[in-house]
Amino acid sequence: MTQFLIDTVWWVPLYGLLGAIVTLPWAVGMVRRTGPRPAAYFNILMTLLALVHSITLLLATWALPVLHLDRAWLDFMDLRLTLSVEVSSISVGAAVLATGLSLLAQIFALGYLEKDWALARFYGLMGFFEAAMSGLALSDSLFLSYALLEMLTLSTYLLVGFWYAQPLVVTAARDAFLTKRVGDMLLLMGVVSLSAIAGTLGFGQLGIWAETAQLSPLVATLLGLALIAGPVGKCAQFPLNLWLDEAMEGPNPASILRNSVVVACGAYVLIRMEPILALSPVVLTTLIAIGAVTAVGASLVAIGQIDIKRVISHSTSAYLGLVFIAVGMQRQDIALLLLLTHAIAKALLFMSVGSIILTTNTQNITEMGGLAARMPATSSTYIVGSLGMVAVLPLGSFWALQQWATTVGSHLMALMLVVLLVNSLTAFNLTRVFGLIFWGQPQAKTRRAPEVPWLLATPSISLAIITLLLPLMLNQWGLLPEMAVWASMPTVLLMASGLLGVGLGGVLYLSPRSPELRGEGWKVLQNILAYDFHTDQLYRLTVVFAVRQGARLTAWFDQYVVDGMINLMGVASIMGGESLKYTISGQSRNYLLTVFVGVILGIAWLGWAFLN
Amino acid sequence: MLSVLIWLPLLGALTIVLLPAAIAEKRSQGIALLFATAIALWTGVILVQFDPALPGLQFIESLAWIEPLGLTYQLGVDGLSIPLIAINSLLVWIVIYSSDRDRTRPKLYYSLILILCAGVAGAFVAQNLLLFFLFYEVELIPLYLMIAIWGGNRRGYAAMKFLIYTAISGILLLAAFFGLSLLSGVGSFDYALLQEQSLPLVTQLVLLTTIVIGFGIKIPIVPFHTWLPDAHVEAPTEVSVLLAGVLLKLGTYGLIRFGLGLFPQAWGYFAPVLAALAVVNVLYGSFVAIAQTDMKKIVAYSSVGHMGYILLAAAAATPLSLAGSIAQMVSHGLISALLFLLVGVVYSKTGTRDISVLRGLLTPERGLPLVGSLMILGVMASAGIPGMVGFIAEFIVYRSSLLIFPVQTLLCMIGTALTAVYFLNLINRSFFGRLPDRLDNLPPILWRERIPAIAIVILIIAFGLEPSWMLRWSEQTSVALGTPFLHSTTALVTGSVTPLPLPPLP
Amino acid sequence: MVQLSPPPSVPSVLAPILERLESGGALLPDTPENVVEVVGILKSYGVVLDAYWRNLIYIAQHQFLVLFPFFKYFNGEVTPSKLLRYWWHDRINYEFAEYCMKGMMWHGGGGLDAYLDTPEFEERARAAIQAKVRSNPLMAGLNQLFPAFLLEQVRQSCYYSGLGQFWEVMSEMFLVLSDRYDRGEISSIPDVVAHVKQGLVDAAAKPITYAVDIKGQTYEIIPKSVGLTFLPDTAVPYVEAVFLRSFPFFGTVSYNAQANQISPEQADFNYGALFADPLPIGGAGIPPTLLMQDLRHFIPDYLHKVYQDDGRGEDDLRVKLCISFQKSMFCVTTAAVLGLMPHPQDTTDPQEQAENRAHLMVWLERLQASRLLRVQENV
Repeated sequence: MTQFLIDTVWWVPLYGLLGAIVTLPWAVGMVRRTGPRPAAYFNILMTLLALVHSITLLLATWALPVLHLDRAWLDFMDLRLTLSVEVSSISVGAAVLATGLSLLAQIFALGYLEKDWALARFYGLMGFFEAAMSGLALSDSLFLSYALLEMLTLSTYLLVGFWYAQPLVVTAARDAFLTKRVGDMLLLMGVVSLSAIAGTLGFGQLGIWAETAQLSPLVATLLGLALIAGPVGKCAQFPLNLWLDEAMEGPNPASILRNSVVVACGAYVLIRMEPILALSPVVLTTLIAIGAVTAVGASLVAIGQIDIKRVISHSTSAYLGLVFIAVGMQRQDIALLLLLTHAIAKALLFMSVGSIILTTNTQNITEMGGLAARMPATSSTYIVGSLGMVAVLPLGSFWALQQWATTVGSHLMALMLVVLLVNSLTAFNLTRVFGLIFWGQPQAKTRRAPEVPWLLATPSISLAIITLLLPLMLNQWGLLPEMAVWASMPTVLLMASGLLGVGLGGVLYLSPRSPELRGEGWKVLQNILAYDFHTDQLYRLTVVFAVRQGARLTAWFDQYVVDGMINLMGVASIMGGESLKYTISGQSRNYLLTVFVGVILGIAWLGWAFLN
Repeated sequence: MLSVLIWLPLLGALTIVLLPAAIAEKRSQGIALLFATAIALWTGVILVQFDPALPGLQFIESLAWIEPLGLTYQLGVDGLSIPLIAINSLLVWIVIYSSDRDRTRPKLYYSLILILCAGVAGAFVAQNLLLFFLFYEVELIPLYLMIAIWGGNRRGYAAMKFLIYTAISGILLLAAFFGLSLLSGVGSFDYALLQEQSLPLVTQLVLLTTIVIGFGIKIPIVPFHTWLPDAHVEAPTEVSVLLAGVLLKLGTYGLIRFGLGLFPQAWGYFAPVLAALAVVNVLYGSFVAIAQTDMKKIVAYSSVGHMGYILLAAAAATPLSLAGSIAQMVSHGLISALLFLLVGVVYSKTGTRDISVLRGLLTPERGLPLVGSLMILGVMASAGIPGMVGFIAEFIVYRSSLLIFPVQTLLCMIGTALTAVYFLNLINRSFFGRLPDRLDNLPPILWRERIPAIAIVILIIAFGLEPSWMLRWSEQTSVALGTPFLHSTTALVTGSVTPLPLPPLP
Repeated sequence: MVQLSPPPSVPSVLAPILERLESGGALLPDTPENVVEVVGILKSYGVVLDAYWRNLIYIAQHQFLVLFPFFKYFNGEVTPSKLLRYWWHDRINYEFAEYCMKGMMWHGGGGLDAYLDTPEFEERARAAIQAKVRSNPLMAGLNQLFPAFLLEQVRQSCYYSGLGQFWEVMSEMFLVLSDRYDRGEISSIPDVVAHVKQGLVDAAAKPITYAVDIKGQTYEIIPKSVGLTFLPDTAVPYVEAVFLRSFPFFGTVSYNAQANQISPEQADFNYGALFADPLPIGGAGIPPTLLMQDLRHFIPDYLHKVYQDDGRGEDDLRVKLCISFQKSMFCVTTAAVLGLMPHPQDTTDPQEQAENRAHLMVWLERLQASRLLRVQENV
């Protein structure tokens, strides 16, 4: 049985792919008389199968050593590309997480998109999405991982572009694709170079190769920087972070996955590449720097947002920044733990957000208020999700951040500050949002707010329960530290920072006599934060400017210089061909003959010359 | 065996020409399709009979023709030409099938397509330089006429430009062929004999340069490319499909067959120049494409860019890179044919190709949703998204060329991001958003307009998932043609480039 | 009857419509094509509404405070074959009825909305809630913790019932219209308007009530004594919420708070049935697609033939249905507008005429940005 499960591990991604293919008749409009729901049900069934398969596999191989399965894909001359798969508790566990969250998000979508006739296309894309993610979780080869990352880029584009007729979606989908593409292009350069230098792309072999590799520092650094560019784009790290904000134009069920597991895929690949990155200290330092800038910057930006989805999505970048720092400090274990706890809590928050949007028909948190009493499922999922995000109570992320602080943070004071700041700001922000949405008096748009139907509430509550149980599971897996470490200084500081954030948020947004923040200075600051420190201007003035002007200049050069010159030179011959030009209106046989005769004469003449 | 590929379409053309005018209007397309089907089937037979394990020529045919001229009727195929012959037969069938049912002057039109088919097939199988040249020239005439008669507003200009450029290309080739034949003292145009030439290196370089420019116009290599966008824009869809899908490949095919194949020694010296030209092609084509608003121009300049990858791999000339080069020819043949077909449908339904005018074509009931979806697939394939043929072809090109020309290869890879820029611009502008009011009553799309595109998409995905189906044909030929590159990791690690094993210049 | 010349303040595009209204016409021009489209689509709409209202009433009566209403669209009849058919999505899209219900509830207005905030309602609702949760400790606990939770659900049930009762009348009205058309009694757009107007007038005072049976006992949540009636408490709020305001579609409007595409004021919303763009029907994020999909199954043959001979035939059927549907809704709106006129339409008192005109102008100006001007086009 175990052997059968292992041999069929590659089915796990294929379920989703099969689901995606089956949606086609509905998605392309071949089925007209009936609706698209069978496609949705089939995809949910496939995802369920994938989940069951991966859970059984996880249980069956829990105690087994790591297995590597190689499947040659292309064995051509000296190029050998394999679709290798790793079966380990981490890889299969990651697949369980991806398929599990995908299942919940798809059930959620059944309710969220019940009035959307393009349901089949949505589920097709979700199936594709899930296939790429679970494949990535299991992948044991950089080549396969790169290919799957590109699939993710494509499906992100298509999912963000789901409501293609909506004006902001048009640019959002494009920007999401192009931003990631910049990262992917650099990653591809790295992958191709690595393939040429190391001669292999299997993660295992690369690790062995890296132990003895003799690279010049420059090559090692350039290679490493190219390799991290892909994850920087995928994980929405500075400077490739803005797409995530824009991607919030897409449907919420996709945002659930995007903010939890999709971004994590980038970091997951980063973790697998760590042995190569470690060849250059510059690369590791870069990782830490990018992570720190993003973590602090995104946490601040989140506070300035008034859009409910963006409020939550910016903190995704911030937490992934912490993951980057952990990888930079070569603590992959902590990076993985944080990815897990963040993914679950963030997915939960986004489910709550979806329920709120559907009930209030707005995404503006300043138009909300007083939902807590009438929406128990939604408010409790929000609270549990928030607590699972920050280090205040000993839920999931508390443990991840605690270990982060005690190990990574203790190395460097500055990094300690980063984690304290992120925790504090996130706690503050989540409290602020809670106050605005759930507390206070209802406003016009939240005056009538019945709780969402069961299709939305059930997955939310289920995930909330999982979030609450997560610490127990971590304990079961031996991932929690000894009791003695609890009381250490970093833990105390961390909790204090979280409580400070919650307290400050509470004073400002929960108390009935909250002070009004209306000063000019505050407004300026809020604007800067609301517009993401104007990072878009950075793009506009650099890459976009360069490409646009480059294109304009080249096109001008092409039209006036290259073509102009050649036309000038060609004038004489065109004159010579004038007689041809004027016969064009119909007498085809004439020019057929003319040209033919010309060619024959030419050959004859040359032949004559040749013979003499 | 191979003669059939040439004479069957000519017979078809003759049949159509001889049709009485009364039935020609209605029957030309049907008859042409019949012949195209026969050609496609025959190509299938050849593919089945072809043995990929042999490096050399197969199905050789040899007949004396005009002895004094050194012109013999000598045919044969190998792994370099067989994929291109297959693409030619496929695209000709598709083009005839998807042609407008009420095309004006059908008799002339379909006979010209069949003559074109014969010319191209002939050029790919000819093993005599002069014979190749003849076919290379023969193919010009129908193409010129088709642009000049059925083209757009500036068809006269475009057709003339095309004719002049390709005529110059032909003259240069002819000069080089004669030069080679005379100087080497072989006194014949037999490919196999000429391969044995041992000319001084400088002479070789001169001849090679002439050949490179000759084929460079056809490929086209920047700055000899300006005929291409004009020709594409003015040409009817069918011509664009054939032009991008097969005819440009005559250039790269010729470059490898008559450049690398006849002058392997000089090639080593010339390769860095070619690689640099490849970079220029990729970046220049991509940048110009970004600035365009006409869909056809975007796809045309995209072709210029993507031909650069073929050039790069050809320059590197290792067995793997040559296989990559051929794979990229197939990949580009399929993808650009698909894109031109779809742009043609958009144009025929909306009357415009201007992406600043078009909007919301994905609109389900009144737009062109399936065309839009296939277009998205096509541009993604072109941008090198895995799972489609473009990715693996480009991956092999990069992976193999990197060892020889690291900097040039990395620069070429920027093209993958730029491709995404112009194509996403095209898609998001014209397919996303709301359909403009003046386009809200588009004529219905017929299955005839969808099936060819769907068929090509299936091929693109099939080869993308199982690239060995495409690569296996050319493996042995690439090994035979290429210069084996001694795999060394030190080259890159130390940042220096391993030079090709070259004899010193005299 | 003295005709007032249009005052200069009337925008020129509206002037002909105003004139037509005052001379007994409708918002929709009276052409034979329009009559076929309007009557045909209303026939189909009548059938669909019949299914909708039965389901809404069923949910209000029998799915009262059911937290997991798995079979709420089955109207109490769950058989394997029906289950398979529903899984195959071969069914009426009741989601659209709920969508309209949510629109009414969220936008509020009218006596029903006001009643739901009174202590009397709360008292009656609490009694029903108590009866319902008594045997269910989980729900009882939830009710203890979140007392407003189930109360809000009861408010929603009231809207289920209210909309159901409204549509019951409308469905009947449209089916009778179709029968009269078949008998040759309806031959022009004013005939259609007169039929609908008469129907509205006849039902105007029909009481709106709501009671549920829990364990054999009846709990009156909206008793007759509250005095809610058809026209002011369901019809008018319905027109406001569904015809005019509705919700922005995910598929065409960005909900991004920073983009400010959606007004903070609900009164500014103009996404309703008279405003919606028919072109994207069938696409992603366009809820009316559901209605059009339901309508396509019941169009009478004479209308189906018209569609098949036009444009892309069957391929863009739902867009054409939507265009016809909007035309028919302009007729219904005309009936409502005329029904709400302050004075008889044929009054000769200049003062009353001026007031009538002012009433019409308020509506016309509100509808100026709707599809009103577009449905004038193919005259």
